[in-house]
Amino acid sequence: MHKRFVLGLGVATMATALMAVAVLPGVAQKPATGPAPLSVADSATLRGPRQPIFFRHDIHAGQLKMQCQYCHYSVGVSSEPGIPSLQTCMGCHIAIAGKSTADKAEIKKLKAAWTTKQPVEWIRVHSIARHAHFPHQRHIKALGPTACATCHGNVSRMPQIYKVNNVNNMGFCISCHIERKVSRDCTVCHY
Amino acid sequence: MADESETSGVDRRQFLKVLGLTGAGAAVLSGCSTDKVEKLVPYLVQSEQQVPGVATWYASTCTECNNGCGLAVKTREARPIKLEGNAEHPVNAGTLCSRGQAGLQGLYNPDRLAGPLARNAAGGFDAIMWEDAIARLAAKVGLAPGKVAAINGYGPSTFSTLMEQWVGAVGGKVVYWEAFAREAERKANEKSWGRSDLPVYRFDKAKHIVSFGADFLETWGPVVEQQRGFAESHGFHDGTMSKHVFVGPRMSLTAANADEWLNVPAGSEVMVALAMAQVVASKRGSALAGSLSAYAPEQAAKATGLTVARLTALGEAFAAAEPSLAVAGGVAAQHRGAIDLCHAVNLLNEAAGNVGKTVLFGAAPTAASGYGDVLALFDSMRAGQVQVLLVHEANPLYALPKSGKFREALAQVAFKVSTASILDETAAACDLILPNLHALERWDDLRPRTGVTGTMQPVVEPVFAGMHTGDLLLKTAKAVGGPLAGFSAPSFEAHLKSEWQQAMPAGAEFESWWREVLARGGVYPDPAAPAGPVPSLVAGATTVTAAPPTFDGNGEFVFLPYPSSMYFDGRGANKPWLLENPDPVTKITWQSWVEVNPETAKRIDVREGEFLELTSPHGTVRAQVCVYPGIREDTLGMPLGLGHTEYGRYAKGRGVNAVDLLGAADGQGFLPYVSTRVTVKATGDYRKVSKTEGTPRQLGRGIIEAMPLAYAAKGMTPEEAIKAEGHPAHEVNTPKEAEAIAGWYEHQTERTKLGNYVGEHPKWGMAVDLSRCTGCSACVTACYAENNIATVGEEEIFKGREMSWIRIERYWEGGEHGEPLEARFAPVMCQHCDNAPCEPVCPVYASYHTPDGLNGQVYNRCVGTRYCSNNCPFKVRYFNWSRYSEVAWPEPLNLQLNPEVTVRARGVMEKCTFCIQRIRGAQNTAKLEDRNVKDGEVKPACAQACPSGALAFGNVKDPEATVVKWKRDPRGYVMLEETNVRPAVTYLAKVLNREPAAAHAAGES
Repeated sequence: MHKRFVLGLGVATMATALMAVAVLPGVAQKPATGPAPLSVADSATLRGPRQPIFFRHDIHAGQLKMQCQYCHYSVGVSSEPGIPSLQTCMGCHIAIAGKSTADKAEIKKLKAAWTTKQPVEWIRVHSIARHAHFPHQRHIKALGPTACATCHGNVSRMPQIYKVNNVNNMGFCISCHIERKVSRDCTVCHY
Repeated sequence: MADESETSGVDRRQFLKVLGLTGAGAAVLSGCSTDKVEKLVPYLVQSEQQVPGVATWYASTCTECNNGCGLAVKTREARPIKLEGNAEHPVNAGTLCSRGQAGLQGLYNPDRLAGPLARNAAGGFDAIMWEDAIARLAAKVGLAPGKVAAINGYGPSTFSTLMEQWVGAVGGKVVYWEAFAREAERKANEKSWGRSDLPVYRFDKAKHIVSFGADFLETWGPVVEQQRGFAESHGFHDGTMSKHVFVGPRMSLTAANADEWLNVPAGSEVMVALAMAQVVASKRGSALAGSLSAYAPEQAAKATGLTVARLTALGEAFAAAEPSLAVAGGVAAQHRGAIDLCHAVNLLNEAAGNVGKTVLFGAAPTAASGYGDVLALFDSMRAGQVQVLLVHEANPLYALPKSGKFREALAQVAFKVSTASILDETAAACDLILPNLHALERWDDLRPRTGVTGTMQPVVEPVFAGMHTGDLLLKTAKAVGGPLAGFSAPSFEAHLKSEWQQAMPAGAEFESWWREVLARGGVYPDPAAPAGPVPSLVAGATTVTAAPPTFDGNGEFVFLPYPSSMYFDGRGANKPWLLENPDPVTKITWQSWVEVNPETAKRIDVREGEFLELTSPHGTVRAQVCVYPGIREDTLGMPLGLGHTEYGRYAKGRGVNAVDLLGAADGQGFLPYVSTRVTVKATGDYRKVSKTEGTPRQLGRGIIEAMPLAYAAKGMTPEEAIKAEGHPAHEVNTPKEAEAIAGWYEHQTERTKLGNYVGEHPKWGMAVDLSRCTGCSACVTACYAENNIATVGEEEIFKGREMSWIRIERYWEGGEHGEPLEARFAPVMCQHCDNAPCEPVCPVYASYHTPDGLNGQVYNRCVGTRYCSNNCPFKVRYFNWSRYSEVAWPEPLNLQLNPEVTVRARGVMEKCTFCIQRIRGAQNTAKLEDRNVKDGEVKPACAQACPSGALAFGNVKDPEATVVKWKRDPRGYVMLEETNVRPAVTYLAKVLNREPAAAHAAGES
């Protein structure tokens, strides 16, 4: 409950410009076998909901080997993992326009969203009922920064995100808590 | 989690941009269904200060009254969700009163105006654009040189100076006015010491406090600071405590915390003050003794009905305590004899040598202009000398008596402008309304006293499209040009900064210094700085006058309106938290009432709830009777603050305005609130009173224990003290009982060991020091804010369905058979019993004991049998009877919800969790840092807010924890011990600084 005072919005907002020029992991890498070329039309046949932009975790996390926390920046410090701001996307995509026509078309959508200042409204895949609280940071602390797959599956091989585990099923939580001999007290999550 | 259903309607897109991903996290408990498509909306640009899921704190300043407490604003995803005190601030030192906390509901009030309004030909209002509004104002101001005036209710600040200069430039004058500006005290100080400022009173240093009508714990002066000081001296510590005596016709919250209440007729307080001063002066051999000789206790005894012996003893005790402190104020200082009273109290402090010790001048708030100037302004309106009137942060048409014909005077002004953000009575009579931004949305500052300047910074995007009045003035100045051409700052923020630049210490770099100031919440005086010079009495100060009280009308009863602890001067009436939080002494919610002594009620044959018609020479009001033992038989009390005819959905048409009975005539520079007599007429109409009180008396249950100082100093337990008082022993756990319950606790707690809990768990517990608790109810508001507790409204309270997880119990003691009346307060929250009766009766294990000693309540398991509540001896479980969550937070009030706490749906039992979200939050943080939770790291909202520091919370397994030290106090006891429920909350018995009963009975004559 440590309080920290910071300055108001007026001096606050223009902030993360530096993040954009941070090291871009894996951009230059060229893996031996890349993910299958897919276009937005294919997304209808893939598992999981179609998103407003056909964002490919298999390219970003798989082929390019970007760390999960590069985009989901608060997962280690907060109960909320954080969804990247469009500025984070644009940090790379200001320069990267995509190779295939299909990729280019999707990146154009991103640029259009950035230019018109309309945030992309992603369809939520994983959500926990409001009467349960899941502190991401504690799980990352206990299981390590690559433990995301435990619940979310191996997203580095998913062209489109789908639900691998029903994270809203308490049995799924409890089985792990039993296995690891950690608290099964109700009020750890329900309050 | 930005759920569409929660934000649509309030310019949703705008909000989502601001709130981003985790915006409105606290949604209604709606089962496990995830069928609905939810959207994740990212930020366009991520602010480096906002981490989703982590609170960001901003320093700001409270504007709910002009005492300028520092705020720590808790925001989640750029949305303020709770107001707490700024720990660095010298006035409130980290705590906050109910009214201050409810400022949040002013920000999100659903009745705030969404933009400027202009009166149309039909008499209604049209929404107009800001450009248009400024042009209209500029046109009128430009045409009325020398005929512009302003009423400003905002305190000393850069803004107020700007307004003064602005109005001055067009040849007008600003009148400062607030309802309780303490004018009589200023005038008396002028008479005594030749200075019209107000001192700071050091209640923490005083060993004997006498208050003449000053409600210093609830509405008079900087109450948070005074409560802290009072708890410091009057809380039992090291075998001693100060003594507090209250003199006045009504038992207010402050009087209820006094060791002695001298129930004297309204207006006769001055005689007590002079008699005390006379005794003190002659005891001390002071030069004042001569001029006071005409006011010996014998005179006061005649005027007040007190005995000479008691008055003399009081004076002697006051003289013996060094230092002591006497204060006069509240409505006692709004009486025609008030200047005499305040002057007499000044002499009393002088005689006792308190000036410079407990009465400190030099840090004083700057003088306000007050009621006299307002009357003069309205006179000039009547005379047609005002063509353009600006009303800022003031609502005179509500707060001034109707008999003064202020509405008619206002109508004489051709063009009236209000900056009210909610359509109040005055705004409704204006031609143009230019809604100001809320303090949490704007750049501003406030100087509550010399050396202390609080700053405000926008912590949220404007919730409604208002405009800071500072910006409005600057923009209008540009449009008018001419005399206002000098106001060239591009924005009020720029103006504020340029003004602050001049206050910057030499050699500093402005931007970094300014950021530091904002982050601290302002600039504060150096605590080590020497005090200002001690003033001495001016010539003529020894001339004492004490005219007998005069009243308008010749009704049977003196009418005593007083500022309500919750609604204050009326500005709290639109905030559901304040309406629902019961008045601390009467326990009435959502209504006005008239306090009638039980004897009087018997005599005039009215019962509680009956409507009584009160008539004074100035008007008539009808209000429900509250039979209240804490008021004189010849006096009727009524809270101010309700009876609005405008001011939003919560305030409009609720209760009555006590001011309607008053006369406006003054002659002394203040509104004489207590100068009217009324006649009463029973109407026979009856309505239930929306009281949260159960039984007004303890009936021997020993719920709130108290003991005289002599016993506490000897280290007696409450049980020993009761025996020593000669009362029948309050025996618990007799051998027979002990045998009956042997093993029961062990058997019950056996179950908590089930479930593979590994490792050492903490055990959370609380201690409440009743000698510090004043019953102010700040904890209740804090709990509503922290835990998303729904306000249920008056109709539901009739059915006993209020949801306050923590409540203040108020029990009456004595008051019969010649015993003095005494009020006792205790906060009652879930006691988290180790042997909880609620747990075994739950058929679905929704109520159970957690390994860390909490009495858990799992909402998603609860099926609403209510067995647990039926079995709870403390009645601290609250059933959610209706769709409160759907009606309690009309948009955008829902934005106040704490995303860390589930919003409970209908059919669920809910209760205090010891703020488990704070416990789990601290545990999460500790885990990341590979350590255990430290003592003091977890503070439940109630303990955090408490201005008197009456609550301690922590791990009772930690021998060094504060809570453990408190629990070891011999005064410690648990409520209803005989039920063997083993609560985790220990109460430390209240201590009364008076003689034990036997001696007291002998002294009373």
